[in-house]
Amino acid sequence: MNDAEISSLQAYKEELIVEAKRGGALVAGVADANAFTMAPEGHRPTDLLPDAKAVFVVGGAQPRAADWRSPNHQHMETSSTSDRVSALALKLANHVERKFGYYALLNPPGVDRGRNPFVSLSLAAELAGCGSRSLAGPVLNDEYGFMYYSAIITTLPLPVDGPITKAVCPAPECIEMWEEEDTTPCLSVCPISDDGCLDGKLEGDEIAESRFDRARCTIRTQGNWVPGFQKALTVALDEPDPERRKMILGSTMFTRTLWSMTYANVSQAQCFECMRVCPVGAQHRQLI
Amino acid sequence: MSFFFVEPDIYKKYKDQVLSMSQSIQVNYQEHLAPEKRKPGYTDQQIADELGLDVRTVTEIRCVGEREYYDVDEWEKAQEFKKQQCRAFAERGISSATKKYLERKKAAKKNN
Repeated sequence: MNDAEISSLQAYKEELIVEAKRGGALVAGVADANAFTMAPEGHRPTDLLPDAKAVFVVGGAQPRAADWRSPNHQHMETSSTSDRVSALALKLANHVERKFGYYALLNPPGVDRGRNPFVSLSLAAELAGCGSRSLAGPVLNDEYGFMYYSAIITTLPLPVDGPITKAVCPAPECIEMWEEEDTTPCLSVCPISDDGCLDGKLEGDEIAESRFDRARCTIRTQGNWVPGFQKALTVALDEPDPERRKMILGSTMFTRTLWSMTYANVSQAQCFECMRVCPVGAQHRQLI
Repeated sequence: MSFFFVEPDIYKKYKDQVLSMSQSIQVNYQEHLAPEKRKPGYTDQQIADELGLDVRTVTEIRCVGEREYYDVDEWEKAQEFKKQQCRAFAERGISSATKKYLERKKAAKKNN
């Protein structure tokens, strides 16, 4: 590749970043499409788009400070904003194809038949330098903390940013808390030892061990969605008494689940408690 | 004409093994851990190879098994958990879990 080609690829990247920020992205970065070696086969960018060269990742659409402040947890359950960042990525994919003339594929925000991501957005965000994986699970950006991500997979060989070198998690406050109390904010609100989803261990300023109860986290984050529907429907079908069955099908649990499923075509986050107490980006979750 | 699903006897026979091998409860699963500590679990294909099943059967067993893992009571507990945590945050701003540490950081910044 000659200097002119390199410079034009850099210009493409800068144009995409400008478009992304104009569309509401808080962060953007580029991962090497061939760097997803730790993802299982079938879940790498080139499995979705042969000859993919880069993955352009955008992040943003966080809940606002007022969303975090509402005392009614059902509000955040129904106002998930992750669709916004997916819509932005789709717009950027169109931009790449129409203006630059390279294939660009939106990494679908949902999951495949086996309930696995097509390409892990967390891994993409890490490899694009947007942040690093937290003890609680989500990728944290050093300035904004938790946010939603979307990615486009493209044959355009954009200059790669690569992963950040200093992990965002654990934050200094969490290291201090660990030294004094053997826990961190996220572990303290949702501990596996007390019917929660998280466990782990810090050593120095690094995560040494982690444990995550995916099944329980699914109930909390998607309780009134497809998993909740399947569970409630099983209870209803098992009920031999038609009067009791009517009460189950008309219950608030079943009704709420049906409403949630009609709100969006992708899963809505319905639990934010580990992120609510995370010190990273906390300044954006409260105005005073 | 039907769609593909796994017969209950096959499901019951392999459920525990599939869930255990797939790391349904993820211990040191995440990508950020050092390679020597990371235990990413098996893919459905790897489980299928190990147990002598076809991959689609493994995927079906895993998906049904993950859903069955907790009883429906857990759904009620989830609602209560979120209600309590959310209200606590609304009352105290940043959670009491982090407050004193954030204040200490602010004070240190002020002193510098």
